[in-house]
Amino acid sequence: MIVRMTRVRIAGPPEPLERVLAIIQDLGVLHLTRPPVQPAPAAPRSRSGRERRHVQRLLADADAVVALLKLAGPTSERAPAPPESILRTARQLRGLRRQAEANAQAITRLEDERALLLRYREFHDAFKALLGHELTWPDGRAFYVVLRAGAAGAASELKGSLERAVGREFELLTHALSSGETAVLLLTSAAVAPQVSSLLAESRVQELPAPAGLGQTQLLRAVPALTARLAAIPAELATLRAERATLAAQWADRVSTLRAWLHDRLLMLDARGEVLSGTHLFVLEGWLPDPAFDGLASRLTQEVGAELVVERVGAERWWRQDAPVALKNPALFRPFELFTRMVPLPKYGSIDPTPFVAVFFPMFFGLMLGDVGYGLALAGLAVVLRWKSAAGTKLRAVSAIAGASAGFSIVFGLVFGELFGTLGHHLGLRPLGFDREKATIAFLALTVALGLVHVLLGLVLAVINAWRSGHSRMAMGRGVTLVMIALSAVALLAAFELLPAPFFAPAVVAVLVAFPILIALEGIVAVIELLATFGHILSYARIMALGTASLMLAVVANEMVGAFGSVIVGVLFALLFHLVNFAIGLFSPTLHALRLHYVEFFGKFYSPGGTAYRPLAHWRPSLQGG
Amino acid sequence: MDPVLMGLGAALAIGIPALATGWAQSRIGPAAAASLAEKPELSTTAIVLIAIPETMVILGFVVAVMILLRGGGAG
Repeated sequence: MIVRMTRVRIAGPPEPLERVLAIIQDLGVLHLTRPPVQPAPAAPRSRSGRERRHVQRLLADADAVVALLKLAGPTSERAPAPPESILRTARQLRGLRRQAEANAQAITRLEDERALLLRYREFHDAFKALLGHELTWPDGRAFYVVLRAGAAGAASELKGSLERAVGREFELLTHALSSGETAVLLLTSAAVAPQVSSLLAESRVQELPAPAGLGQTQLLRAVPALTARLAAIPAELATLRAERATLAAQWADRVSTLRAWLHDRLLMLDARGEVLSGTHLFVLEGWLPDPAFDGLASRLTQEVGAELVVERVGAERWWRQDAPVALKNPALFRPFELFTRMVPLPKYGSIDPTPFVAVFFPMFFGLMLGDVGYGLALAGLAVVLRWKSAAGTKLRAVSAIAGASAGFSIVFGLVFGELFGTLGHHLGLRPLGFDREKATIAFLALTVALGLVHVLLGLVLAVINAWRSGHSRMAMGRGVTLVMIALSAVALLAAFELLPAPFFAPAVVAVLVAFPILIALEGIVAVIELLATFGHILSYARIMALGTASLMLAVVANEMVGAFGSVIVGVLFALLFHLVNFAIGLFSPTLHALRLHYVEFFGKFYSPGGTAYRPLAHWRPSLQGG
Repeated sequence: MDPVLMGLGAALAIGIPALATGWAQSRIGPAAAASLAEKPELSTTAIVLIAIPETMVILGFVVAVMILLRGGGAG
C-alpha cells in the first residue's frame, strides 16, 4: 500500500535554520519540497555556491583516497562529526591524496616494468641457444618482434621481404611462445639497420621497445641485468604495498568519517535550495508519513524553541497534488515491491499493486514450472541466496521471491503429479488434480479461467482507482466493461454446457444492452479496448503452453536414460538435460509471469508517475544509487 | 482425419507463428539493446517488448496441441 503522507510547513527566524535542517537530517523523515510561493528575485548565492564547490573538491579528494588506498565504507551508523578545522582537513586530505597517488603510480610503474621484463625474458628463453656464441654482427642491431597468434605465415613473408630489401645482411630466428604468439629475433648489420627498421614500420610489424635502464640495448647481452632487476622488483613492490597499508590503517577511520560528513553537507546544501529564506524569516515545506509528524514537531520545538512554527498544511489544499510515494507492505509481500519498482512508481492516491503481484506472480510461476523436483531445486537455490545476502538488499528480496515461487511449484507439482517430469510416476507419485500430459484441454481451461479472474480483478481496481480520483464517468465505463466480460464468460460457459442452458440467453441480451451504454460512456475506442481485453484473457494460455513445454522437455530428459546403450551415459545426458530444462524453467516463467502482470494486469488500472519519497537523511554508502 | 494432414496442420500452426515471432524479435532485439546501451533504466520495457511477440508462437503451440488432440480423439 501507499503510505499516507502529511504536508508540513516549518517557519521561523533565519538564525536557527542550520540547526533545524540538522535535526530534520537526524530524524530522516521529511521529504523537502519548495513552498508553492513565487520566489523573490534571485538573490546572489555566491556563499553557498562557494561552499558547495569546496565540499565537492574535498569529496573528490576523499573519494580518490578511498579508491587508491582501497578503504572500506564507514562502519559507524551514527551521524558523522564535523572536522575541527575545515582548512586544516582540506590541506591534510590534499597531501594524503598526493601521497596515495604517488604510491599507486609507483606500484603501477613497477608492475608494468615487471610485465615488460618478463616479456623480454620470454625472448631470452626462446633464444637462449645464442648466448655464448659469437654474433655475426657484434656491433649490429637486434629487433625484437612478437607476431600475434594465428599469423603463422607472417614470419616467412617477413623473411622474403627482408631478402629482397637487404640481401643476406640479416639473421631471422623464430620461436613459438606458449601464448600462441611467435617471437621473432632479427639481427642485422649496423649498415642495413635503418633500412630494416623502416621496412618493419611499413609492414606494420610492431617492435618491443629496447630494454631500458639495463645499460644495454642488446637484449642477449642484457640478460644478467634483466634477471637481477626482475629479482629486485618484488621487494620494492612489497615495500610500496606496505606503505599503502600503513597509510590506509592510519587514515581509514578519519577519511571514512570525513567522507560521510561531506556527503551529509552536500545533502544539507541541496536542502537549503528548497528553503525560502529572507532577512527575517525562513519557510520550508515537506512531506512525511502521517504518524511521524508529532515526533518531528516536538523535537523541533524542544531543541530550537517556541519561535518556530511547525504545522500541518490542510489536506484539502494539497490532496494528491505532488505528494511523494512510499510503499509499505507486510513483510510477506515486501520483497515483491522489487517488481513494482521496476516500473515507474504509482501516483500518490492510486493503488499499489504489490500485494496482488505477491499472490499471483508465484502462482503463475508455480503453474508453469509445476514440478516437485524442480521446485525443491529452486527452494535450495533460494536458501543459498538468502544465506549469501544481507537483510534489506535486492538479493534478499530475490531469495524471498524464489522461495515463494518454489513453494507454489512444489504444490502444483503435487497437483500435477510431477517430479522431474514423469519420473515421479515410477516412484508412485500420482496427480492430486490432473495430469498435465494428458489433460491438456483442462489445463488450458484452468489457465484461461485464471486469466479471466486476474483481468477482472484488474478492472475492479480500475473502477476503484477512477472513482477515488473523481473520474466517475471513467469508473462507470470500466464497470460496464467488467460486467460485459463477466456476462460473456457466463454465456460461453452456458454454450459449452458447463452452466445450465437458461443462463445463455439472458447473458447475451445483457451484453447487447450494455454495449451501447459502454459506447455512450467511453466512446467508440471502448470497443477496441473491449476486444483487446478478450485478447488479454486468452494471453494467459501461455501459462499452459510453457507448462506443457517444460513437462515435455523433462519427459525427453528421462527418455535419454535408455537411449544411449550405456545407462551411465544416459543418466549423465538426462541430468544435463534436466539442468538445461531447470534453467529454462527459471527464466521463461519469470519473464512471462512478469509480462502478464505488466501488460495484461497493470494495463487495466495502474497509474504511473509517482515521485519517490526521499527524506533528508544522513548519507549511507548503500544509498549512493538513490 | 488423415494423420498426415493433421500433423502438417499442427506443424504449420506452430511453424508459421514461430517464424513470425523470430522475425519480430530480430527487429526488437537490436533496437532494445541499443536503447539499453543509452538508458539502462529501460530494461523492464525492453524485456516486455521482447516477450510480446512470443504470444504468437505460444498461441500457435496451443492451436497445434488442440489440432493433434482433437484429431487424435476423432480418429
